[in-house]
Amino acid sequence: MCAVTVQSASNTGELTLKEVIAKYSGVSPFIIIKSDITRRSFVYTEQALAALDKTKHQYQQRVLIGSNGDGQQAVPVSLLLRDGTSIIAMPSPHARNPYVIDQIDGKLYITDHGEVVEEVEYWYKPDYYDKITSNGTPMWQVASARPQRLDIDPNSHCHFWHKGGACKFCNINANSTRSHKEQNIQKQLQAQDVYETVREALKQPGAFTNLKMSSGSILSGAEIFDDEVEMYIEMLQAAGANFKQRKFPSTLVASAFNERQLARLYENTGLMTYTSDIEIPNEELFAWICKGKHQEVGYREWKRRIIAAVDIFGRGNVTSGIVGGCETAHPHGIQDEAEALKVVLEEAEDFARQGVSMVHCVWVPIQGSAFHNQQTPSLEYYVQLAKGLSDLRLKYSLNADMDNYRKCGNHPDTDLDRGHPVAG
Amino acid sequence: MTTINEHIAALLRDPQTGKALATTDMHGVPHIILDQTITINDQGQLVYLELIETSQTNVNLVNSIWFKRKVAITLHTPEETYQIKGVPAYSIICGPVFEHYYRLALERNPDYDLSTVWLIEPEEINADTYAHRKSKEQAEHPLVMHLDRLALGAT
Repeated sequence: MCAVTVQSASNTGELTLKEVIAKYSGVSPFIIIKSDITRRSFVYTEQALAALDKTKHQYQQRVLIGSNGDGQQAVPVSLLLRDGTSIIAMPSPHARNPYVIDQIDGKLYITDHGEVVEEVEYWYKPDYYDKITSNGTPMWQVASARPQRLDIDPNSHCHFWHKGGACKFCNINANSTRSHKEQNIQKQLQAQDVYETVREALKQPGAFTNLKMSSGSILSGAEIFDDEVEMYIEMLQAAGANFKQRKFPSTLVASAFNERQLARLYENTGLMTYTSDIEIPNEELFAWICKGKHQEVGYREWKRRIIAAVDIFGRGNVTSGIVGGCETAHPHGIQDEAEALKVVLEEAEDFARQGVSMVHCVWVPIQGSAFHNQQTPSLEYYVQLAKGLSDLRLKYSLNADMDNYRKCGNHPDTDLDRGHPVAG
Repeated sequence: MTTINEHIAALLRDPQTGKALATTDMHGVPHIILDQTITINDQGQLVYLELIETSQTNVNLVNSIWFKRKVAITLHTPEETYQIKGVPAYSIICGPVFEHYYRLALERNPDYDLSTVWLIEPEEINADTYAHRKSKEQAEHPLVMHLDRLALGAT
C-alpha cells in the first residue's frame, strides 16, 4: 500500500507525483495525492464500480457545484483515504490524464498507469439517506453527508448568473437545472424537510460533527442579500429546533453579508461560524472572474465584510475560501506560478492578520462553467499553496476547526493542520 | 505486518493487562499513554481508540501514518512483558467500524466522544521482561559486564 508512483506530467516538464512527494518530504503524501487526484480527476474500472454497494455506499447526493454524476451508471459520490482524508471529487470522462480507481484482491486502490498509488474506500451512506420526509421528499435530496458533515444547501440557484455575472469557475445553475431535470432534485428546500431530515440524522450516534448550509447568492431584498439572510434564518431555525442548546457546531458558506445582516444571523440562529469566499484573492482577477460579485459589491467591500464578521463570530470562526489555482486562468491570470503563489499568500496573510483563515479547494475546470476548457497549475503549486496557507495559521495562531479535515474535507491546507493543530 | 500469536492476542483482549502506547512527535520527542482498552481485531491489527481529537497522541499518530513512523505498545502482567512495534495503517473517523467503536466507547463512559479508531499493524514483537533482556545481552554481548561478578568468591 502507498506504493507511490509514477508519471503524471508526461512531456510537460512538471514533476511527477513521486517526485513531488520526495521533494516535499515534510508534507503529508496523502494530501499531495488528494490534491493531484482532484486536479487530474479519475475514472472507475468496471470492477471498482461493481464494488459499489447501494445499500451501504453513497451514490447520489445533492451538490451545489460540481456534478451529481455523469452518465447513467451509479458512481460513488466520493472517496476516503486510509488516514481519514476525504477526496471531494467526481469522475470525469473529459479528463486528459485521469487516475484510475480499481479493485485489486478485494480492496479499492487509486492507480496510475497500472501502478498502485494508495488504498481508498467509498463513502458510507448514513441511516437517514433512504428515508422520506412528510412532504414526500427523499432525505438524501435535503442533506448530503460529507462524510461527517451534514450539508444542507437550501437554494441551488445563483442570481449572479442573471445578466452574465456568473463566476467563471462555477457551474451551480447548470448543475441545478440538470439535477432538477434528470433527478427531480428541487432547487429550493422546504424548512419542514430540513427539520425532519436533521432530526433523523441525529439519531445515528457518531455520524456527524457539524452542520453546514450553503446556497447560491440571492440578491433581492431591501438591501442586497436581505432575502438570502432571511432564507438562512428560516432554515437554520428549522435545523436548530432539533438541538437541546441554542448554539451548535455549524457553518454557513454564504454571500458577503453586511454587519447588520451578520448580527441578525448570529442572534436569531444556532450558527457558530461563517464563511464567505473571496474566491480569487486579487482585485483585478476577481473583477474578471467574479464579475457579478464585483459589480454588485466589489472586491474591497466583499473582503471588508468578511473581516468584519470576526467581530461577530470571533477569531478562528470565520474563514474565506479561494478556488486555488484559478488565479492562473487564461488569458488574464498570472501565468508565472511563483508570482501567482506570492500574490495569493500575501493576500491570505492580510486576511490572517485580521483573524480570518483563508482556505483553498483545488480548482477543477468543471463542465458547465465558463472555464471548463482551462488547465490547472502544477501539482507543486498546490503543495506550496496548501503548506503556505497552513503555515499562516501557525504564524497567526488561527485554528480552522470549523473547516477541518472531517468537517469539510475539501481543503488540502486544513487537512495539513491536523498534523500540527493550533489552539483556538 | 507480522502475526500476533494467540497467547499475546489473549493478553491484548484482557482488560486486566497493563498497556502503554508510545508515540513520538515530528522532532522525536516521546509521548506515552496508558490505556487498558487497547485490543486486537479479527485481522490481527491493534486497535487504539482515541477520545481527544487534538491530543498529543492523536497528532503523533497522524504524523506516524503520514510519514510511516513506528509506534510501540507494551503489554505487562506480573509474569510477563511484551513490546510490539508497528505502524498506524488506518485512521477511521466515520463509517460502520467507527460507529461500532463509538457506541462501545459510550457504553464505557457516556462522556466519551470518540475521535478516531486507530488500527496499528504489528511489525515486530519481543518478550521484554528483565530475564529476556538479560539472556539476549549475554548471548550477543558476552564481554559487557563488571569484573567483580567474576571474582573468586563472588556468588
